[in-house]
Amino acid sequence: METYKFAPAYELPSWPFVPPPELGSTAVVRHPIVIVGAGPAGLTLACDLARRGVRAVLLDEDDTVGVRGASSRGICYAQKSLEIFARLGIYERVAQKGITWSFGRTFSDQQEVYNFNLKTDSVSVQPPFINLQQFYIEWFLVDRILELGLTDLRWKNRVTEVTPLPDGVRVEVETPAGRYTIEADHLIDATGANSPIRTQLGIDAHPSRSTDRWCISDVRFKKPLPTERWTWVDAPFNEGRAVWQHLMGDGVWRIDYQMPEDCDTAHISQPEVAGARLREQLGPDVEFEFVWIGPYGYRDHLLDDFRHGRILFIGDAAHVVSPFGARGGNSGIQDAANLGWKLALVAQGLAADALLDTYDAERRPAAVENLRVTSRSARFLAPRTPAEHTMRRAVVALASRHAFARALVNTGRMSVANAYPAAPHLPEGGVTVQNLPLRWRDGTPATLMELLADGTQCLGLWFAPTRAQATAAADEVASLPLRLLAVGGDSGLPTLQPDEALARHLGHPAPGSLCLVRPDAYRATLLSDPTPASISAAVHTALAHR
Amino acid sequence: MITEPHIPDPDGFYAAWISAHEGLTEAQSADFNARLVLLLANQCGDQAVLLDCIAAASQSGAAPEPQRQSPA
Repeated sequence: METYKFAPAYELPSWPFVPPPELGSTAVVRHPIVIVGAGPAGLTLACDLARRGVRAVLLDEDDTVGVRGASSRGICYAQKSLEIFARLGIYERVAQKGITWSFGRTFSDQQEVYNFNLKTDSVSVQPPFINLQQFYIEWFLVDRILELGLTDLRWKNRVTEVTPLPDGVRVEVETPAGRYTIEADHLIDATGANSPIRTQLGIDAHPSRSTDRWCISDVRFKKPLPTERWTWVDAPFNEGRAVWQHLMGDGVWRIDYQMPEDCDTAHISQPEVAGARLREQLGPDVEFEFVWIGPYGYRDHLLDDFRHGRILFIGDAAHVVSPFGARGGNSGIQDAANLGWKLALVAQGLAADALLDTYDAERRPAAVENLRVTSRSARFLAPRTPAEHTMRRAVVALASRHAFARALVNTGRMSVANAYPAAPHLPEGGVTVQNLPLRWRDGTPATLMELLADGTQCLGLWFAPTRAQATAAADEVASLPLRLLAVGGDSGLPTLQPDEALARHLGHPAPGSLCLVRPDAYRATLLSDPTPASISAAVHTALAHR
Repeated sequence: MITEPHIPDPDGFYAAWISAHEGLTEAQSADFNARLVLLLANQCGDQAVLLDCIAAASQSGAAPEPQRQSPA
C-alpha cells in the first residue's frame, strides 16, 4: 500500500501579548471604535479606518493568523476585494504571492460542458480573481495595520461579555494578565460564524445545516496544469461526485471532493483514503505531498438586522453562505469596506448616526442575494430527490451539445460586487465603479483607488465642466467630504484625461454631467445638469443627512 | 401563457412524443421528458411565461378537473 507524506508545517507569525493600559485600573476608558475579531473582515475594517486616519481598538483571542494553523478556509479573492486591498496598500503583496486567474471550466465525466472568462467584463487594474491562502491575507493586513500605526491591536484579549448601553457598549475582556473593562461608542462584531457576542445577546441567526459532505485536500505535485478553476459535476475519479480544483500560493492545489452524505468523516480524511483518491485523479506517476486534509459540511445563516443599536455585525458573524462562488470571505471584506468610511465620517463628526443604518440597508440585501445564489449552486451540486437527479442529468446531457443548456450548469456563480437597492440615501441604487487606470492631464498615471486612498471623501467626476461652473461649485462644496475632479475640459479643477473605458463604464455621461463616487467606490448618482446646490444636495443625500 | 390551442397538429405531436418514448425504461422516459422540457423552455425564452407554465403544471396536477369525473 502506498504511503503518503505531508509537507513541513507552515511557520506562521505570532505577535506578542502586551498588557493593555486599562489592566488594574478602576477607571473605565471609552474608545470610539472597538472591533472584535482579527479575521479578514475585522482586519480589513481596522486597516480601512487606519488608512483614513481613524483609530480603533482591535481585540483578538488568539495571537496569530489562520484559525487552525495553515488550514484551509478562504482561497479566492474577488476583484472588488482586490481593489480594496489596493486602496489599503497590500495588493502588491497579494498579487506577488497569489495566483491570478479569470478562466473557469466545468466538466461532466470526461467532457467539458461549460466555461467562463471573467476578464471579459473587467476594466479594472485588478484581475477578476487571485487565489491565496487566507492566512496570508490576514498576515499582510496585520503588517499593514502595524505600519499605519493607528490601531491598538490587542492579541490574547478575549471578549467575555458585552453590555449594550444607551450611548455605547460596555466590553468585558479577559487576558493572560487578568480582566478589564472598556466602553465603546461603537462595537463591531467580526468574531465569525460562531460569534459568542451574537449568542450572548440571544440574536437568532436562522441557521440551517447542509447534509452535503466534502473533503479538502491541499496538495503539492509536479504535474503541469493550467491555472484555471476546474470543477466537475460528476468526476470519474470521485465515484461520479463533484470535485473542485484550484491553484493557490506556494504551488499548493486545493482539491475539494464531494463525499457521500452518510460518509464517516474521520475515515474519508485519513491520508491513505485521501491519497488513494488523489492517486486515481493524478495517475500513477505523479509525486505529491499533502499540506492539509480536512472534511467539512457547510451551513448558512443570516441575521435579521446587521445593526443592533451601537453594535454592528460584519462578515460571518452576520451571514454565512455555502462556499460555492467564493461569496463568504469576499462579502466579509466588502462589509468592512462598506462600513469603514461610514464609521470614519461618524467618528470625525462629519456625518450623523443615520449613515450607519445604511450599512444594514446595503449589506443585508447583498447577503440575501449571496445566500440565494449560493443556495442554488448547492442544490445543483447535491440534488435531493431522484427527480432532481433526472433534471440535472438533462441539463448536463444537453450542455455537451447545445450552448443554451450550458448556462444552467451551476457549480458556483463567482462573487461579484453586489449592487445596492434604491433607498432614500441612494435614490438610483448603487453599483460598483471598478478601479480604472486613468491619466492626469499631464500624462501622469492614476487609478480610481489612488484617488480614493487618502482621507474619506466622495469623488465628483465632472465631465468637461466650464470654468464658471467649477468656480461656483468649489465654494459651495468646500465644507463637504467631496473632491471635485474634472474629466477633460478647461475648468481649473484638477483634470483627468478623457478616457473611453471610463466613459463606457459610467454609461457615457454627457458633457457637463457629474458622477458622484462614494469613498467605497460605489456610484451614488449621476447629475446630468449639476449646480452648486444640486452637487451639495447629492452629497448630503449620500451621507444620509436628513 | 398561451392556453388556447396553438399546436398546428396536436395528434401528430402527441404521436411523435409517445413514439419517442417507445422502448425506454421509466427512468429513461423521465430523462427524455426532462431534456424535452429544457429544449422547449429555451424556445419560449420568456421568464414570466415559463414561471406561469410551471405554476399551471402544478395546479393541473394538484386538483382533478371536475369535468373529468363524469364520463362524457
